[in-house]
Amino acid sequence: MAHSLQFSDLQKGHSFARFPFLVTAEEVAAYLESTGESPDAWREHVPPIFIDALAIAELLATVAIPKGVMHTGQEHQTHRPARIGEPLEMEMRVSALSERRGAVMAVFEADLHDTDALPVATMTISVMVLPEGATV
Amino acid sequence: MTEGVAVPPAILELTREVDQARVDRYAVAARDPNPIHRETPEAYAGPFGRPAAHGMLVLGIVSDLMTRGFGQAWAETGGIKVRWRSPALTPVVVTVRAELKKHVEGTVTYDIVATEAGGETLLTGTATVRI
Repeated sequence: MAHSLQFSDLQKGHSFARFPFLVTAEEVAAYLESTGESPDAWREHVPPIFIDALAIAELLATVAIPKGVMHTGQEHQTHRPARIGEPLEMEMRVSALSERRGAVMAVFEADLHDTDALPVATMTISVMVLPEGATV
Repeated sequence: MTEGVAVPPAILELTREVDQARVDRYAVAARDPNPIHRETPEAYAGPFGRPAAHGMLVLGIVSDLMTRGFGQAWAETGGIKVRWRSPALTPVVVTVRAELKKHVEGTVTYDIVATEAGGETLLTGTATVRI
């Protein structure tokens, strides 16, 4: 996979991705089938945690995350539901970056908004990259 | 689905088996092909010694629990904040439990914990929803 950014390129405050975001009914159905959730509640809207999963997929596609990375935390706040098939836009930035005893902790923030720039959801993805050779 | 919840439940609970087939389907649906989640040499040589389910798959069970409890309110106003405590090594039976922590001005907050059948804590956090 060709990444546009190396992990070492990241800096706190760096806004590194802005991309169209649209989820189809087929994608929602496949997600719900994989998690075991009933589709009954999600005929119109995208399940909130699926939005987070797709944000993480975009992060992984954009930034070359080193081996040894651990997804340590996740936050999500819905401002209003994302509709299936609705054209939205997501923006991602580095909201925190620190190092302790060789381990790097990074927090990525993702904002999902509509075509009027009104917020739909905000998410944070916390990861820790262990120093090479370290085990959990 | 419960619509228009007036009195929030004190406890919500949901148990689901997560086997490797489910993890493999999730990897495709969520576009996360990391080999540590699948039956690969990398998973067996990795830090857990075998495949671990995606943490987001476990978090999806939490969201399912809140959907069952609050329906459309969860879709419209839900918030969640979690930390992963240990990996969910497949196959695993995950139980997610939400315990009402507070109910203030129409917003309920639940303490969330996900455990595996052996009692190991997989995830902890809080979930909020306006009712």
